[in-house]
Amino acid sequence: MELFEQTFIDIRNYIEGKNSLSGVAKKRNTPWPSAKGRNVVLSDEMAVELGNPQMNSVSCLLWTQKPDLICDGKITLIGPDIKDSSEKSLPFGKVVLAEVSGIDEESAYDQYKEMEAVRYSLDLKGYMIRAVSQYQREWSRISREALQNGFSFEVLGGALREEYLKKDYIHAVEFLFVTSSAEDVGELQEITRNVGRTISAMNKMLSEIDSDCDECEYNDVCDEVDELKGMKKQRDEKRKKAHG
Amino acid sequence: MDKKTKTIALCGKGGVGKTSVSALMVKNLARRKDLKVLAIDADPAVGLCTALGVSIKKTVDDIRKDLIDAIKKGESQDKDATLNMLDYELFDALTEYNNIGLLAIGRPESEGCFCKLNSLLKDIIQDLAKNFDVVLIDGEAGVEQINRRVMKTVDHLIMISDTSAKGVHVANTIKHLAQDNKAVDYKSMGIILNRVRDESEVSNIQNNLPIPLLGWLPEDDLIREFDFHGRSFIDFPDDAKACKTVKQILQDLQIL
Repeated sequence: MELFEQTFIDIRNYIEGKNSLSGVAKKRNTPWPSAKGRNVVLSDEMAVELGNPQMNSVSCLLWTQKPDLICDGKITLIGPDIKDSSEKSLPFGKVVLAEVSGIDEESAYDQYKEMEAVRYSLDLKGYMIRAVSQYQREWSRISREALQNGFSFEVLGGALREEYLKKDYIHAVEFLFVTSSAEDVGELQEITRNVGRTISAMNKMLSEIDSDCDECEYNDVCDEVDELKGMKKQRDEKRKKAHG
Repeated sequence: MDKKTKTIALCGKGGVGKTSVSALMVKNLARRKDLKVLAIDADPAVGLCTALGVSIKKTVDDIRKDLIDAIKKGESQDKDATLNMLDYELFDALTEYNNIGLLAIGRPESEGCFCKLNSLLKDIIQDLAKNFDVVLIDGEAGVEQINRRVMKTVDHLIMISDTSAKGVHVANTIKHLAQDNKAVDYKSMGIILNRVRDESEVSNIQNNLPIPLLGWLPEDDLIREFDFHGRSFIDFPDDAKACKTVKQILQDLQIL
């Protein structure tokens, strides 16, 4: 079983149960203007805010090596697009689904970190992002100027897709954005909770020298997923060798 | 061409009206809607926030304490994840008023050496600062605190002093700390005299001032009244001499 196989199924079921719209993340003929390193959007100039710290917010990235699980460039939107929002602040859910190759037990965590960092490399004028991966939270702001110039989830998805595809091990990317309600975002939080625990388990496994698996809070996650079991085995073998 | 951030740091002996001058600067900057301004209250007493009538929900020191607690509980993350989290928390700690973002540093560190963490926080503050046109730091009395807790380089280092010999002496000490001990890197340094009773006081001490005089503010009952009643300096009258002098100083420094 792949790391996130069950979560992929759960997300597909989640989408099916909601009113959603689909779009395509296209490459723009004219690139969105750069913020030139100034990406702060203050509330005074803001049109819409997604997932601020007082709102429900969830953001995660799942990968698979199975091409048929990803529809490249597809954007699924549950709730209003940025330009259609009647509220200034919306709850926010974001899931990035990526088709990858060559990610194995040894490289998984480093490649996850690389993929995770992609969202920070976006340099879109009028778009600000702040995120905490360990809490799966993402908070973004879109300026009035950006909105007037046509900023939308298609623009955001297109820019993100372009950045992800710069990694030679990523071949296709699909996006889910949820802005409909705190309840819908909360439901997505539940579905993706295990993604966060899996990543935390990887981090703990690789960063702690003497972690005791019997005492570890992620024991259940490691036992359930083959790739984590493989990582654990590889880590133990390395340590055994190091200690002669 | 990329815009360049201009940074001003104010320091001087306690009680000379540093925070009132800072607040009047913020007031003038708030009128320029085309400028994005980051005001940093580096005084542990968070006086600037009070002078602007802003209540602070979180300080940089609160963020630091939370992270230390998390680390103590074993919730450690790699450096990139920690940096992103600090960046998120720092923006959440920003209090926004029109074109102004206000950040309070909070109380000095508690027990223990957390140099690495302080350095990370300083990096994050510097990264945030790059997004603004003007950064104004209302410092503590000592200039070394600005370097240690906020940022190591500023464009304009401004001493605030009253006309007392003690005030001018402290300004001179700060000048030496900044200049000879390299406590903070700066491009220009100047002094603003505050609470001047009459112009002859300025003439009398002008030649003894250790650094160029940028301007002087009269003893002003209105400032005292704003302080006393806790009124926001944002509402300070534009036509008051103190407000006009501060505006002129900002124009002379090419900030406005």
